[in-house]
Amino acid sequence: MTTKRFYLGRRQAGGLALGALAAGALPSFANAADSSTFITAAGLPINLDPHQVYDVPMQGVMLNAYDNLYRYENDPPQIVPWLAASHTVSDDGLIWEFKLKPGIKFHDGSAMTAEDVVYSFRRVLALALAPAGAFLKILKPENVTAVDPLTVRFKLETAYAPFFAAIPGICIVNPRAIEPNVKGNDWGKSWLASNGAGSGAYRIVPAGYRPLEYLDMEIFEGHFMGWNDNPNPVKKIAFRPAKESSTRLLALLNGSVDCTDGNMPADQVDQIKASKIAVVQKDIVMKTFVIRMNNTKPPFDNINARKAFAHAFNYMGFINDILGGYATRDPYPMPENLWGIPKDAKGYDYDLKKAKEYVDKAVAEGAPMKRAFELHVQSENEQSVQGAQLFQSDLAQIGINLKVVGSIWSTLTTAAAKPDTTPDLWVHWVSTYFVDPENWVGQMYDSQFHGTWKASSYYKNPEVDALLRKARTSVKQEERDPLYQDAIRKIMADSPDIWIYNSMQLQGFNKRVQGRRFCTVGQGAEVRWITLSS
Amino acid sequence: MLRFVLRRCALVVPSLLGLLVITFLLIHAVPSDPAAAMAGDAATPEQIARLRVQYGLDQPMWRQFIVYLDKVAHFDFGESAFSRRPVALDIIQRLPATLELTFASLLLSIAIGVPLGVIAGLKHNDWPDYVLRIFSVTGIAVAAFWVAIMLQLLFAMNLEWLPLRGYLPATLPRPPKVTGFLLLDSVISGRWDALGEGLRHLVLPAVTLSLGGLATIVRFTRSGVIDTLQNDFVFYERAMGYRRRRLIWIYVLRNSVTATVTQIGLLFGGLIAGGVVVESIFDWPGIGSYTVQAILTGDKQVMLAVTLLVGAIYAGVNILVDVAHGLLDPRLMETR
Repeated sequence: MTTKRFYLGRRQAGGLALGALAAGALPSFANAADSSTFITAAGLPINLDPHQVYDVPMQGVMLNAYDNLYRYENDPPQIVPWLAASHTVSDDGLIWEFKLKPGIKFHDGSAMTAEDVVYSFRRVLALALAPAGAFLKILKPENVTAVDPLTVRFKLETAYAPFFAAIPGICIVNPRAIEPNVKGNDWGKSWLASNGAGSGAYRIVPAGYRPLEYLDMEIFEGHFMGWNDNPNPVKKIAFRPAKESSTRLLALLNGSVDCTDGNMPADQVDQIKASKIAVVQKDIVMKTFVIRMNNTKPPFDNINARKAFAHAFNYMGFINDILGGYATRDPYPMPENLWGIPKDAKGYDYDLKKAKEYVDKAVAEGAPMKRAFELHVQSENEQSVQGAQLFQSDLAQIGINLKVVGSIWSTLTTAAAKPDTTPDLWVHWVSTYFVDPENWVGQMYDSQFHGTWKASSYYKNPEVDALLRKARTSVKQEERDPLYQDAIRKIMADSPDIWIYNSMQLQGFNKRVQGRRFCTVGQGAEVRWITLSS
Repeated sequence: MLRFVLRRCALVVPSLLGLLVITFLLIHAVPSDPAAAMAGDAATPEQIARLRVQYGLDQPMWRQFIVYLDKVAHFDFGESAFSRRPVALDIIQRLPATLELTFASLLLSIAIGVPLGVIAGLKHNDWPDYVLRIFSVTGIAVAAFWVAIMLQLLFAMNLEWLPLRGYLPATLPRPPKVTGFLLLDSVISGRWDALGEGLRHLVLPAVTLSLGGLATIVRFTRSGVIDTLQNDFVFYERAMGYRRRRLIWIYVLRNSVTATVTQIGLLFGGLIAGGVVVESIFDWPGIGSYTVQAILTGDKQVMLAVTLLVGAIYAGVNILVDVAHGLLDPRLMETR
């Protein structure tokens, strides 16, 4: 069979070439970076209601669209008056009164009063979701009352020192915006999940939101703090989350976003160093990295077995080689830059010889060290996988068989709700929800919190329980400090978990971003201080 | 024809029911508790237990399934445990973006793949065929995420011809919503700026997503053309002095693409499901990235609804493929 040579005619070739070039040659009508819009590639919370969600992505909404009675500012964090001008506390620590600043307006122009604060706290308690965690056991809704239009009173069931530290976690919402959208007794939960009802420096643009995809906010000129402290503020915030870290990096490098999230992988830092338009901000935060051991499962019910594991982790190898040095070794069960740390307590070092000795002791005591162990990691987080693999190779040298199991956060927290379903070991971080030892040792090692993911080592020591409970009831830091120090010494001696490092937040910024203020609570998500240079 | 279509539609219902049962069982086999995830990081066990009761998650699985089935029968796909919005609303908002990307990819695959397949068939065992074979094997083998990053580096970073990611620039207002399809809405509202930007943003994800399909279409069209060229009617028409271009592009092509059309149908469903990676890399706001998020957060209502949707699309496209077969070759319709 003969075939005639096929050729593309000029028309076809021209058509193909045009088609290929057309899209690229289309004029770009929009400049990705104008001088008044701050574009962030950081993630969005799962919904916009600050009384339903309380996590790191939520800080971008809480700190910009809402206000709180007090707020954490600066680095190291200080709790400063925000909507409240001042507060008083009774000697027994049960009655707290907050005086509001006058003249505060919500985004709809209505005035904020003490009744709105009462409504906000009652809503938090009624929804009973994450932001309520610190209050549910010590505050009844009827005990939050308005004394006068500018004074709110809280009567606690028992004295609870971290109460004040947790106050910045509650956003004050506008009941006049929410009430018309209430369905049944849902407190407007569905509506506020996609809308705003705050008084913050920026207001949520109603049509500018699609869950987890984008969120637009515009400046609120009537913010109670005024704008004298920043004459050239950002006019619009555009949240455009980048799901992949490689895309996030490229977007920063080509100038189409102003910042990344705060979890930049260490290997990307060097790539940004060479950039003319971007920089990396490195901030020490209060976010610890922990490997939990399930103290109820043999051999982890044996102290020598736990110490063997604690000595087998290559702490500095992990920090220097995998994290590129962008973390600080933290041998304590909470951030070393927080009060309550016993500086004389010695942490566990990487020493395979010691680890082997503890293995032998544990075996002599009948601990089943030869069984296969499972270490569960968050698969989507490369760092936790790499840390687990490093641990696996070191443990193999002392005859311990570790299997690394990939998982996701929701599966891990579900499993951690019961001792028999909690993995042998699992990896996670503990972020700052409020700046108080209660956020770490209080909730991790007091046995009353068993069943929560933070307390999933199921450690139980009656002496530690007593110390932590006593520390919780005093409102004076000088009384609480030695109690936490004692508790931490005992916890460290028992080695219930493996405490590895305190994080350094690595966040890429466009160089045009000026005036940013960082605070570990909120992780620098507050935009009102920022100016975009031309 | 109508009876044939109705019979195929009737078969879709049990297929989707089966899909729903399997998906429901698989999703519930994963030890993930949406109540724990919903309650948040700082929640107590009591808070989690309260949510479990509130959302019926404490009920036996069969009862949860019956409740779900009843809702689905009324087109109620439940509420996302996280966005707190009806899942149907979330999907309706995202589906147009996915369909735009899928159609664009499919169009590219067909527009380039069919002619290349014909050329490869005509030049069987000649150099264009070898080149296209290498190209098609590479197209199938290469990972979409790698291609995506390479295209981003070349066209968005080095040449700066095309945007890196997203649907529209952050600073450009969206056109008023009429159909939900950005390109259509831009045309309807006369927003040519949004149309231009929408097209520019579409190019890289569409090209990435089209590669696998393009390679498949080239291979199937090539095989079809080689087979058809052996038929007597080709020799006869050639002997009768038919113009070669007309013979190849009408008669040979029509008889060669039956298998290709089947593949195009399968590809359509595959592109929707396979768009997950591409949508994530390019931050394309479709159901792919929505599904990834649902999996990571254990949002079971979303996972179920998306699976059902993809299943329904697959079923619908398969019916269309059968109809297309019948139109291309009426003998096939008689045998079914």
